[in-house]
Amino acid sequence: MARPLRQSLIAFMTVAGLWAAPAWAAGMRDAVSSVDIFRSIGIAASVAGILLLILVQYVYRKRLSHSTYHRLLLVGVFLLPLTATWSTTATVMEGTKSVQACRSCHVMHPFVNDMTNPSSPTLAARHYRNNWIAKDQCYACHVTYGATGTLAGKRDGFRHWFHYVTNTYPDPIQYVGSYANSNCLSCHQGTGKWERVKSHQTLVGELSADRIACVTCHGPPHPLPHERTVAMANRDASRRMAGGPDGQ
Amino acid sequence: MPPDSDKPRGLTRRELVRVLGTSVGLACLTPLAGCGSFWERQTAIPVDSWHKGVCRFCGTGCGVMIGLKDNKVADVKGDDDAHNRGRLCIKGLATRDILYSEGRALHPMIRKNGELQPASWDEAMTLVARRFKDAIQANGPDSVAFYGSGQLYTQESYTANKLFKAGIGTNNVDGNPRLCMASAVTGYTTTFGKDEPAGCYEDIDHAECFFITGSNTLECHPIIWERVRDRKRSHPATKIILVDPRKTPTARHVDLHLPILPGTDVSLYNAMIHVFLEENFIDADMVEHYLSFQEGEQKRTFDDFTRHIAKYEPETVAKTCGVTAQDIREAAFLFASSKATLSLWTMGLNQQVQGTASNRLVSAMHLLTGHFGRPGATPFSLTGQPNACGGVRDTGSLAHALPNGRLVANPKHREEMEDLWNVPRGRISPKPGHHTVALFDAMNRGAVKCCLVMCTNPGQTLPNVTAYREGMEKTFLVVVDTFYPTETTKFADVVLPAALWVEKEGVTGNAERRYHLYPKLVDPPGEARSDLEILVDLATRLGYGDLIAARTPRDVWDEWRKVSAHSQYNFEGITYERLQKERGILWPCPTETHPGTKRRYVPGQDPMASGTGRFDFYGKPDGRAVVWLDHQEEPLDLYSDEYPLIFNTGRILEHWHTMTITGQAPTLKDIHPDYLEIHPYDAHRLKITDGDPVIVKSRRGEVELRARLSDIVRPGMVFATMHSARHLINQSTHDAHDPFSKQPAFKRCAVSVRTKTV
Ligand code: SF4
Repeated sequence: MARPLRQSLIAFMTVAGLWAAPAWAAGMRDAVSSVDIFRSIGIAASVAGILLLILVQYVYRKRLSHSTYHRLLLVGVFLLPLTATWSTTATVMEGTKSVQACRSCHVMHPFVNDMTNPSSPTLAARHYRNNWIAKDQCYACHVTYGATGTLAGKRDGFRHWFHYVTNTYPDPIQYVGSYANSNCLSCHQGTGKWERVKSHQTLVGELSADRIACVTCHGPPHPLPHERTVAMANRDASRRMAGGPDGQ
Repeated sequence: MPPDSDKPRGLTRRELVRVLGTSVGLACLTPLAGCGSFWERQTAIPVDSWHKGVCRFCGTGCGVMIGLKDNKVADVKGDDDAHNRGRLCIKGLATRDILYSEGRALHPMIRKNGELQPASWDEAMTLVARRFKDAIQANGPDSVAFYGSGQLYTQESYTANKLFKAGIGTNNVDGNPRLCMASAVTGYTTTFGKDEPAGCYEDIDHAECFFITGSNTLECHPIIWERVRDRKRSHPATKIILVDPRKTPTARHVDLHLPILPGTDVSLYNAMIHVFLEENFIDADMVEHYLSFQEGEQKRTFDDFTRHIAKYEPETVAKTCGVTAQDIREAAFLFASSKATLSLWTMGLNQQVQGTASNRLVSAMHLLTGHFGRPGATPFSLTGQPNACGGVRDTGSLAHALPNGRLVANPKHREEMEDLWNVPRGRISPKPGHHTVALFDAMNRGAVKCCLVMCTNPGQTLPNVTAYREGMEKTFLVVVDTFYPTETTKFADVVLPAALWVEKEGVTGNAERRYHLYPKLVDPPGEARSDLEILVDLATRLGYGDLIAARTPRDVWDEWRKVSAHSQYNFEGITYERLQKERGILWPCPTETHPGTKRRYVPGQDPMASGTGRFDFYGKPDGRAVVWLDHQEEPLDLYSDEYPLIFNTGRILEHWHTMTITGQAPTLKDIHPDYLEIHPYDAHRLKITDGDPVIVKSRRGEVELRARLSDIVRPGMVFATMHSARHLINQSTHDAHDPFSKQPAFKRCAVSVRTKTV
């Protein structure tokens, strides 16, 4: 095999491997969290990069041919830091899916606390305690399924963060725009229970255009503005978060 | 730099950093600077402004937010601050489209040579006034009538009632609530002396047991049902008992379902009371201090009552009711032993010949066990229409009634109203008018010559409707409606186009005594006018302009709330300003600072109740609520070999009444209610397969429907909805009615079913 070809193949496989690993990790769900794997890869890459540079520069420099020295330097200086950067980004992207990440802004406390309240009748709480969504419960309903869903979800997250740090959000906070029903439909549409309701059939067009919200009939998804008392919400919340889903 | 310098200049490094920094900063600010579209999710339906209102449809009375765009209703969503917590059912969502649907009545029409032809308002109203005047002159005031609706605004029903009773001098004022709520009225008034539920929706959040009887709450009061479900979701130990002949969608979510045979409620409730007595669930304090007992006109004692109930052992009545004694005992136990039991009921109880008895027995079950007047413990009658309670029951717009619970037959009540309305004593006729069935019968006989029908469709909704169509044909019928044509306009001599929903302003009172305001947000289409404008115009033309001096919704409301101050309904404190600001207020509410009343008859909570006891049933002279000794009568229209099945009627979630509105709404019109539910067992016997066209025949008439094989119905029973005009099920139903409430028994008649031979 010609050398450049082999080189490009190795490069390709490295990159592919870097993408495949997290995908595999994400698939492992409960065993190891994907965030942990991304973080480990990042740390490993950084440590390896520093070690490599030290070894190449101070221990093996004399023993290496000029070209090998340059190549290894290249790996230490560019590729490994790049991997570390990628891993950090992936960790953030993946890590912000977690309920804990959403809860890190205090405006979200009433929402998360309601969700984990075993006697709350809101949609979020029922999905949570019945384990209808196993993990990343906030993200699962706020990502928007479809081609640009993740992008829109992350954009929303960034905007929320921006408003939060600049203190430019209304209190109580309001949902902006029309909620994407695809979040609900991706799981519910087509199930026997869903199909049995005649009105669902006649509303398919309106629902997919988000002109009618599923939560209008089946909501409210979260406590309403006047129900968002932090005192109520904080009660026992941390215990529940630690204990995981319970209740019916 | 000096201005005269001609040196070419570039950016210094510091300037470059500053420009870059500013740009990044600005980019971050775009979401705040009106470039939100890039940053934010967009609304699917753009709206200029949002306004608070109430849903057009059922008696739940959900709060809505109405979005206007270019002076048209563009979007409707649930109001987070109203009792419905932002929820709406599919009918509520459809209000977005109803104003702009096909088929709106746009111009007045007069029948000429058998055809309805467009006319001017003046021409039409001149004719109406002339015909009414002629009839009154030639045959007396009782030859004219008003047939209204639980969907008119309070101001409209109040004005019509006043015009006919205090102006024209006839009590021929009735309306579709007679077909819907009349037994609830007599049930409450015979028990408490006052109409309307004592509790409120909030009680749902505190109940530990729900006794739902004669109500398909999931489909007919969906948002109330969601609140019930929420209670169960929060407190899974909450029990839900359902009494309904059909395994309705509601039945899927209950703990105990008693599929009772229609018309046997009296037996069931007496049997449950039998268990209360047997198991010592009776609240002795209630019996001793707060209850009295009565049978017909006779006073009775608790011992008489016990002897009467002894006949209704569950084992004895099980067969009559078509349920097991075990289930009756179970239901009674759950009802009585819970910490707080709430009953919900509607048409299943009201639309039967023993409607009044059934209603007051449910109240009796609560009173005897002490499940009353505490959070979560109350007998709560659900209302079908958005303003049957506030508009018709409270204003007394029924043939036997006068405002705020007064009665035509009571001379003192008449005098009070004559004084309040400022008309000479003796103006109000002492003779109760014709209740609905009697009114249309009087039209058949030619006794009523002219009738003004507003906001309802009796040509479809009357029981045994064919028998009354001839009368409608003969009478000079003025039909005011928002849609055209309807089954009733077929018989109209004059059709007047009416404004719908937020095309006019008004107040309604929902099932929990909550008065709330509908704002006028858009103009009606064509030449349509509000019903109030039409009534005021008619009053003026008939020479009662002085009597009907209040002519705007606000003025009429002010007059009405001041009239109410002279009664135990007192809601003088519900001013227009408060209605505009708040999400409705529950009466009694005597002052402008009063928050409204959640639980009536409870001293300390109800401003009308006095004393320091548990209760003050101030509607009764002795302050005691009445428990009635009611006997099960022979069920109506017994089946025979010729008519071996029981025909039961009802509704579905997606349609409203006779579909004049929902049948045109784009999101609802494709849902067809033209089917006959029949049990596979009966279908097999009758050689009927799913989808077959079948003829349902009763002793009065027949109707064609498509068979739908389903175990929702019991064997021996068939079911159809009342919605569609294509197949008038009321050609088969019975016009027998409750002797007290005069409400017809739509829920039961004997029929035969056969395949239609093609
Ligand atoms: S439950 Fe009744 S009032 Fe509420 S949205 Fe539905 S139809 Fe309207």
